[in-house]
Amino acid sequence: MAGAASTTVDQITSANQADTHTQGHYTTTGLDNRKIAIWAFIGSECMLFTSLISTYLIYKGRSLVGPYPHEPWTDPATKKVFPAILDIPVTSASTFVLLMSSLAMVLAHNAVVNADKPRTSIWQSSKLWLGLTAFLGAVFLCFQAYEFTSFVHEGLTIRTNLFGSSFFTLTGFHGAHVTAGVLWLLALLAIDFKRGLRPSDALAVDLSALYWHFVDVVWIVIFTLVYLIQ
Amino acid sequence: MPPSHRRWRPAATALLAVAALAALAACSPAPFFRGPNSIFTRYTETNRDVNGLFDSLFFFGTVVFVLVEALLLYAIVKFRRKPGQAEPKHVHGNTTLEVLWTAIPAVILIFIAVPTVRTIFRTQAKARPGALQVEVIGHQWWWEFRYPEYNITTANELYLPVGRTVNFALKTADVLHSFWIPALSGKRDLIANHTNFLWFTPDSVGAASWNGHCAEYCGASHANMKFRVYTVTPEQFASWTKGQQQVAAFGAVANAGTTSGPQTVGAPAAAAATAKQAGAGVRESGPRAGEQGLGDEAAARNNPVPTQPASGAGAAGNPNAAPTPATQAQQAQFANVPAGYTYPAASLPKHVRPSTPIPADLKRRVNMQLVGDPARGQQAFLSCIGCHYINGNPIAIGKIGPNLTHIGSRNTLAAGLYPNDTEHLRAWLKNSRAMKPGVTMPTLGLGETDPVTKQKVTVGGLTDQQIADLAAYLQALK
Amino acid sequence: MATIAAPTYAPAAAPPRVADEPTGLWSWLTTVDHKRIGTLYLFTSLFFFVWGGLEAAVIRAQLAGPNMTIVSAETYNQLFTMHGTTMVFLAIMPLSAAFFNLLIPLQIGARDVAFPRLNAFSYWIYLLGGIFITAPVLFHVAPDGGWFGYAPLTTKASSPGINIDFWVIGLQILGISTLAASFNFITTIVNMRAPGMNMMRMPMFTWNAFITQFLVMLAFPVITIALQFLIFDRFFGTNFYTTAAGADPLLWQHLFWIFGHPEVYILILPAFGMVSEVIPTFSRKPIFGYPVMVYATVLIGFLGFGVWAHHMFAVGMGPVADSVFALTTMLIAIPTGVKIFNWISTMWGGAIRFTTAAKFAIALVGMFTVGGISGVMHSSPPADLQQTDTYFIVAHFHYVLFGGSMFGLFAGIYYYFPKFIGRLMNERLGNWSFWTMFVGMNLTFFPMHFSGLLGMPRRIYTYDADQGYTLYNQLSSIGTAILIVGVAISLYNLVRSWKKGEVAGNDPWGAGTLEWTIPSPPPDYNFAELPRVTSRYPLWDVKAPALTREVPHSERGDRELEVQGPGALNGDHDVLGTADINPTGGPGPRGGAPVMANAMQRASERPGGRLPTARELGIPMPNPSIWPLVCATGVVVMFCGLMFLEKSTKLGVSVMVLGGLWTAASLLHWLTTPLEDAH
Repeated sequence: MAGAASTTVDQITSANQADTHTQGHYTTTGLDNRKIAIWAFIGSECMLFTSLISTYLIYKGRSLVGPYPHEPWTDPATKKVFPAILDIPVTSASTFVLLMSSLAMVLAHNAVVNADKPRTSIWQSSKLWLGLTAFLGAVFLCFQAYEFTSFVHEGLTIRTNLFGSSFFTLTGFHGAHVTAGVLWLLALLAIDFKRGLRPSDALAVDLSALYWHFVDVVWIVIFTLVYLIQ
Repeated sequence: MPPSHRRWRPAATALLAVAALAALAACSPAPFFRGPNSIFTRYTETNRDVNGLFDSLFFFGTVVFVLVEALLLYAIVKFRRKPGQAEPKHVHGNTTLEVLWTAIPAVILIFIAVPTVRTIFRTQAKARPGALQVEVIGHQWWWEFRYPEYNITTANELYLPVGRTVNFALKTADVLHSFWIPALSGKRDLIANHTNFLWFTPDSVGAASWNGHCAEYCGASHANMKFRVYTVTPEQFASWTKGQQQVAAFGAVANAGTTSGPQTVGAPAAAAATAKQAGAGVRESGPRAGEQGLGDEAAARNNPVPTQPASGAGAAGNPNAAPTPATQAQQAQFANVPAGYTYPAASLPKHVRPSTPIPADLKRRVNMQLVGDPARGQQAFLSCIGCHYINGNPIAIGKIGPNLTHIGSRNTLAAGLYPNDTEHLRAWLKNSRAMKPGVTMPTLGLGETDPVTKQKVTVGGLTDQQIADLAAYLQALK
Repeated sequence: MATIAAPTYAPAAAPPRVADEPTGLWSWLTTVDHKRIGTLYLFTSLFFFVWGGLEAAVIRAQLAGPNMTIVSAETYNQLFTMHGTTMVFLAIMPLSAAFFNLLIPLQIGARDVAFPRLNAFSYWIYLLGGIFITAPVLFHVAPDGGWFGYAPLTTKASSPGINIDFWVIGLQILGISTLAASFNFITTIVNMRAPGMNMMRMPMFTWNAFITQFLVMLAFPVITIALQFLIFDRFFGTNFYTTAAGADPLLWQHLFWIFGHPEVYILILPAFGMVSEVIPTFSRKPIFGYPVMVYATVLIGFLGFGVWAHHMFAVGMGPVADSVFALTTMLIAIPTGVKIFNWISTMWGGAIRFTTAAKFAIALVGMFTVGGISGVMHSSPPADLQQTDTYFIVAHFHYVLFGGSMFGLFAGIYYYFPKFIGRLMNERLGNWSFWTMFVGMNLTFFPMHFSGLLGMPRRIYTYDADQGYTLYNQLSSIGTAILIVGVAISLYNLVRSWKKGEVAGNDPWGAGTLEWTIPSPPPDYNFAELPRVTSRYPLWDVKAPALTREVPHSERGDRELEVQGPGALNGDHDVLGTADINPTGGPGPRGGAPVMANAMQRASERPGGRLPTARELGIPMPNPSIWPLVCATGVVVMFCGLMFLEKSTKLGVSVMVLGGLWTAASLLHWLTTPLEDAH
């Protein structure tokens, strides 16, 4: 009886054997559970960033005191002049870096999917591309750190005015998400060095790639709405 | 085929139902909601508008309620399982029914939506020109009312002329509040960094008194943030405004800013002019949101009772000197000042007359035997000048608490919470924080325990005699 | 005409059990079994329901007459804040979560949820968060800003004490629990349905739960941000709600209600789903208009995001915004009304059996109608300016939350208790409880319609005499006492039936969905063989195929499924009288496969029978794990660190870092430990 039952289970799972996504378990859609979960997670993150971005936009132009993002401000009490805080050229560079990291992520995933094929060059190494993605992400974070500290020196802190509060909170949350992503990538990189990533690990890399691309898209939106549109 | 007379049964039932509904249509919910503060009144055009909407809402609501609950009751009675009953036929749906009971509610909603949108635009249009402008500034937990056209600042009691549209500009000095006079109008919130507007015309009401209440939770004494509204005849209103424009009826002295003698009263123009001068502070940039405010109030809440400076000091003419006690002549002069009209306390119906009891233990300590002297009370008022403004008292220029220029003529105390009489006034002065939880005004009575700081009042506390004097002074400020 | 025999069950001394079922405290702390987690949610939520009810009792005692002094103003303000917060976040939502946990895998024919350890984590975070936000009550520093905590009252400037700190952090913690659970259940419902269960064959409760999870997923991040802003303001001095810096208090209101309105649908939809299970079973008919019910619920979920500002009609948004939100609010009444009519139509022509569960479910239909009608009355802004912030609103939401959500969830308790404990609750006690609760609930909340329109504002710790609403307050307070008695009877019933109730058997009610095909209580693996589903009421199909002949079957859908049914290979399958199984797979003439293994059926009918274990059946089971609890504790420690920041930056930061490392370490263990042993 038990034997028949377990055969039954095998029969069900064998139907899905060809689909490596599901790791042998039966699923309704043929996708792994984690794939669906990450999309649900990304859905909630969309609402998270929508709330942050909306707040920034609502408070745009309503700060009672400066410094301001796009125009200079003179403090009526001290007569000190504060220039416009945002530095578009520098942030364009960091945006470019983040965009390139997404490209590296795509190549990393591709490398893992094809890991079983004979490798002909270093450009097919998942370690290279994973590492590069993480590195570029870290470079982006360094740009953010540089920006934030320079803003503070120029007189804008998270407490200064509505702009400071909403700007630093929005970009800070984004930076925290990038940091989490970088740590995730480094973890994958560590596994790659330890035992190597095989095509069966493609899902894990796919999940991190989805997350990474999402974080990148959010930055595009932030860059456009905060930096570019005045 | 049922017998012929039975065939009419469903039609008869339907007819009966229609008749019942028609009868219902004639009904209004108002008779079921009789009460002194009921919203189902028709004294203002806005409330009549809203009542019209309520009639419609209640009508449809009752129809739907009766229909649905009747269907439900019928179903559970008729389709009870009976012993030995066969399993019922499985019905999976009926498209026609689904369409019907989607479409019919939609149609009913149109009957509600159209008058709703019309009423929204009508009641939120700008107030008609010539409306009486009243500025309402909410504080924790009292109401500041200003009449900019008349240069009047008062607190907690609102006078409105019958038949004239009043347009309220609603602001707050601290947290959210909501301005609500149930019998006259719907409410509107007071929001920092916003000015909201609310208007209505009390056109179908005579001289009467109304309850107002804060309707947005605003902290400890939200329940105690009440106000009173008096709709009065235009003549009474004119008299009232004149009275409010006068300087304090007792002990007003030369204004520091002018060199002339005591304020003259007499010709209305002159009165207005002197009121303007003496009361320059009345229209000073008042508390804007965030400007004055929590910092001051919080500080006041935690500060100990200010000590009294020595009385009678200062040379005459020194603008910063303590006021010399009013001479007999001056007092006599002001005793003849025609006080403006105020709504008589005796005319207040039960629901407008506050009946909150004084906390029993405090009541026992209020000394009603002592006789108060207003002149001495004016001296003792030095404890209060940091927070309270009295027009004509050049050092009483505080703007944190209510304007007390005419407090003697108000019917209620502490934002509509207590009646304005000697006992309640003395109790309030003794320990306001025990009478109204969380207030900024510190406990003043010597030996009293402040419920907020939990400290006993020692240095600078008011003796019972001083309290009696202060109460007499305040009562003299008609 | 086919008749289904009245459900019979073997008069057994004890429900059947799996031999190797773990017991003891450790087994509960490490459980990843959705049924155990559901049981934990059930008991914890009922505890908080009682707690919140006691808070309400004190409130009603204070309001029983004018100018009463049973509690001080400060205490009262804490009480009404905590009553609302407790009932919404610690009672109703987790009680719904109890049913999500208990039911969803069974209803869709799965062995567990998609992420069992995440599931456990959700529970532990809820428990710890609940303790965190409730503990201050004992020290008289409970949150006192109202359950929707409007700024600027809740800013540091206006509320300098730690009361609000507990509130913001506690809610943040609880939000994590709910959000994580939503990812879990969305994945479970999308991806783990048994072969043949397409979306339009899912039971109504699972559908409602599914839509609820989407609402959670999209709404909770918004309140997360609203709370983050308040936390930043209070702890780090930012300016989101600082009016002196030009901030707009409406920011809080918009963010809160964009969450808050979907939240109230989150509170009611599971109860609606429960009613949609209970009424068909006890009417002996399937739900009327299943597709319409599904579409209506989807529409409610969707429209629920478009009505939030009807909570803000008094703030002066302007006539256009007022009109738009009035119209969307009226619109959402339509699909809700459709559901009411469909429920009535389900009963229509049925053979209603009035068990306690049925009574509660039918009462929901009646009570929610009242609440829904008053809701439509609020939808008209000019009329709402007289209703908002008065007891008329309090009446409305208690009708929909108590008469709606709680009645529906109580129906669920009476209906599903036999399934998960294996014993029936006592019907006589249930009857007493129901009627007492029904009378008590109406006596408490109906008079509030009058108090409100007679001028009584909300959230006042006392009122003066002669205002015209004293009588109604007295009635409400008497009603509360009756209500408490009613609830107490049900709780007593619950506890008593745990060990002494009549043994239930697989299907005491004669129901039609998958969960009733397995023993009560279900073994840890739920189904010995994953069932193959071909209709909405698989059990009715099997028991009385003549009645369900017209149940829609998608032949094309059945053909597209290539997975073979388990029964196809199990020759000895004629348990329930069906013989039309195609042994080579694919759909038979009816495709009706038996839905459980023979052995399980026979075992469950023996007194105190022994069910086969997972190992005997060759079913891999997830390993219990302590890491979800440890990780949850780490997260809470991290948040506690915030509370210490005021006292000492060093202490606060250290605790936060400690909590962070604790969380990270346990997360590492969790992620690197496989869920199941290799197989």
